Amino acid sequence: MKKKFGRSFDEISNIVSFTDTFFEQQDVDASLRYIVDLCVEELFVNMVTYNTETDESILIEMIPHEHGVEVSLTDFDVERFDPRDASPVDVDAPLEQRTPGGLGLYLVLKMVDSIHYEYRNRKSKITFIADRK
Amino acid sequence: MFQIGFDEAGVIVAEGRLDAAQAPRAQEFLDAVPDRCVLDLGKLEYMSSAGLGVLLKTHKRLMSGGGGLKLVNVNSHINDIFMYSGFDKLFEIETAE
Repeated sequence: MKKKFGRSFDEISNIVSFTDTFFEQQDVDASLRYIVDLCVEELFVNMVTYNTETDESILIEMIPHEHGVEVSLTDFDVERFDPRDASPVDVDAPLEQRTPGGLGLYLVLKMVDSIHYEYRNRKSKITFIADRK
Repeated sequence: MFQIGFDEAGVIVAEGRLDAAQAPRAQEFLDAVPDRCVLDLGKLEYMSSAGLGVLLKTHKRLMSGGGGLKLVNVNSHINDIFMYSGFDKLFEIETAE
């Protein structure tokens, strides 16, 4: 199942509806829903926020995986950005040293079972797998 | 759908999904609350890092004035996010039964 979404945070509710449909149609384990919602939102928001040189919509694809789901987000006509290279976050820092932001990709990398990055012809594709525990 | 407001006991109640699209509305509300506050998350289904940013900014502002934000009725999914983010060491948190 795949669909393109415009580069706006207002599309998040449409992405949630898209995910609803996928989980219902494919009978995916509901325990994976929070992880999928969170990781899709964080990656989508990151693309919208930082890949500002394009107006192209972002393609989201979901397919059933052996014990869960495989999700890809593809951003077109953008620079390379591998989320695995994101700056580390010191989650043990005291309150005065913590600042809002920077946790999104950290959470994605923490929560998915695997993540893959592919960049070709200015097409940036992030794929993650979330499996039932 | 996301909603935030005070209940009759003066507790702040958040409901629905706190994502990047709704975070500005949550921040606008929380920017106006004073001192020491309790935020009931019992009806909040979902929170992303955008919501974490809102809570952190609010907590820092309140702490600087001697107050703070206490989080109650936190569901297991959101509590996992708090743990991963180190928020369990920054906030007073009560999980849902």
